[in-house]
Amino acid sequence: MATSAPLVSERLCGDLQQPISALAWSADGEFLAIASAGGELLLLDFLAGCEELLRGDRDSSLDVVGFSSDGQFLMAAGQSGELLLWELGGTGVRPLAMDSIPLGGGWIDAAAWQPGGLLLAVAAGRELRLWDGASRQWREPPLQLPGTIQALAWSADGVQLAASCHGELVLWQLCLGAPADPPLRNPIASAGLALAFSGPGHHLACGMLDRSLLVWPQGCHGQPWQFSGFPAKVRQLAWSEQPGRLAPLLASAAAEAVILWTQVKQGSKAWQPEPLLWHEKRINALAFAPGSTLLASASSDGSVVLWDGRGRMLQPLKGQGSGFNALAWRPDGRHLAAGDANGRWWLWPVAVPPRERQSQRAGAGFRSKP
Amino acid sequence: MAFSSPVPATERLPVTVLTGYLGAGKTTLLNRILTHEHGLKVAVIVNEFGEVGIDNQLVVDADEEIFEMNNGCICCTVRGDLIRIIGNLMKRRDRFDHLVIETTGLADPAPVIQTFFVDEDLRDELRLDAVVTLVDLKHVEQHWEAEEVQEQLAFADVLVLNKADLVSDADRAAIERRVRAINPVARLITSENADVPMPELLGVEAFELERALSLDPGFLVDEHTHEHDDAVGSVALVEERPMDLEKLGRWLSDLVAERGPDLFRMKGIIQLQGEARRYVFQSVHMLLDGDFDRPWKPAELRRTELVIIGRDLDAEALRAGFLACVA
Repeated sequence: MATSAPLVSERLCGDLQQPISALAWSADGEFLAIASAGGELLLLDFLAGCEELLRGDRDSSLDVVGFSSDGQFLMAAGQSGELLLWELGGTGVRPLAMDSIPLGGGWIDAAAWQPGGLLLAVAAGRELRLWDGASRQWREPPLQLPGTIQALAWSADGVQLAASCHGELVLWQLCLGAPADPPLRNPIASAGLALAFSGPGHHLACGMLDRSLLVWPQGCHGQPWQFSGFPAKVRQLAWSEQPGRLAPLLASAAAEAVILWTQVKQGSKAWQPEPLLWHEKRINALAFAPGSTLLASASSDGSVVLWDGRGRMLQPLKGQGSGFNALAWRPDGRHLAAGDANGRWWLWPVAVPPRERQSQRAGAGFRSKP
Repeated sequence: MAFSSPVPATERLPVTVLTGYLGAGKTTLLNRILTHEHGLKVAVIVNEFGEVGIDNQLVVDADEEIFEMNNGCICCTVRGDLIRIIGNLMKRRDRFDHLVIETTGLADPAPVIQTFFVDEDLRDELRLDAVVTLVDLKHVEQHWEAEEVQEQLAFADVLVLNKADLVSDADRAAIERRVRAINPVARLITSENADVPMPELLGVEAFELERALSLDPGFLVDEHTHEHDDAVGSVALVEERPMDLEKLGRWLSDLVAERGPDLFRMKGIIQLQGEARRYVFQSVHMLLDGDFDRPWKPAELRRTELVIIGRDLDAEALRAGFLACVA
């Protein structure tokens, strides 16, 4: 194989006191928020090139962080069970901390802003709660699940919200018109640990504690495909934003193995798995570059690996020896942020190969007519 | 299913599970563990927030959520809340070097124990040090019929007979005999006001195979079956003729397959035919773990000793099955 130009040739990094637990970019790529297991929250202003520590080390972990899609709010939550919110004023303006909101549901590790909207979904114990950034109030009543919520995800259009616990996966339609449909409750055989909607097509994937993966077809109705035989619980999922011939590419991680799933036909045996083997320890994060089939995986083995859409390793990125906990692509798809177990954050400019950005629709001419 | 992790025990974080019926003194003991100058940074997972809490200590609330696998069999249940909370806590591993988990007074300890052997992450990052059960000497007789009380006694590696100052010596001795009938292998400690020497509680290594039967040397003086009215009891089996590993393995796996839900704990040291080393063995419900241990010492009495703790045990059938494994 000919040596190709490296995708990553420079790096930025910095340190927090405690292991990095979560990373998030604002939708415009202006800000990067970095949270730590010691409760630190650092806000990097990418354009201005400055940073502000919104919270210092305080011995209570933050585990989830995110910007509202319009960039107006930043949220963080974790061990204290409180929702923390900041109001942002754009570049060069200091974020304004709002009063923290205790939720009483124990450790919070799942929360997500609605794409294209101002609703914030928060998993507070067995309650799925919605905070409305427009009215700055909670929407009542919250949705009750039979167990502690393990994962939640919004569809790309911000209309559907999925949440999973042990035994149940709930789909909540949040159409603007009232009355809303009652939530759709699907029984599942184990606990759903990871949820992800595909952008194009609205497939829903659910990674399970019982070492299986469920994928619901378009529109999330009907019977899911079920894949089993994983070496461990399926804890990380990512869909490529690039449309595929059928479904987009799906990546799953269980223990140290990434599997890339391609839908090759309709029907029951529709998916083809491609194992991506390189990591030596557990994979803690997976993310496709926006609009691309370039996949990044972050592992406890102290590396982040870039893979192409066919599962070939393009480049391993080594850190300082500590395991990597979190990954986040800048929305421009040209910068990858990562955080490690020693508190160091990394920012790598990435030259995405053109073929990973091209639509794969070129092959559609070979498709047989139905 | 085996219990062992590929990760060496010394690299895993020790966990103590603290059980005991309502009012037995768990909160008092937890506060002692948190304030004691043992040089350990202890993180505590409690089931009710607020009662325990000292500044600068890591105390986390959990809600005892049981995950049933497959068919709802007790042998396959784990504590889902612990998987999630400990997963979050382990990101902060450098902040503590021992984890203590308090269960509610009404909890069956089995799902907690099984979580540390069944869950792949917990198995590789933590090691169960011991199950410590507090017994309220003053009130335990009133609750004796409660299934939870008997289960908590049966699963214990360390039994703390607390509130000794509130009962007569005769009463204490009677309770001790009754407790021993259920669990002959646990180490017994008598305490007042949950004042227990910390080395007896933390760092016990009761689930390390080589220590599995060494907590109370001399417990197996004679083969015995405890005749009593309790549903939960124990059978001790002793045999001086060497055993056949294959026969023994088959018998034990058939036994747990058939009676798993009723077999709480087993511990054994096996003398094998033509083998200079001891074979050590333990189980929790259907989880079995066994391995070769050190060679028998010249002065040591070479014999097989096996203790079975469970519900509705048929001592005669167990003895017959056991004797059929003689080489």
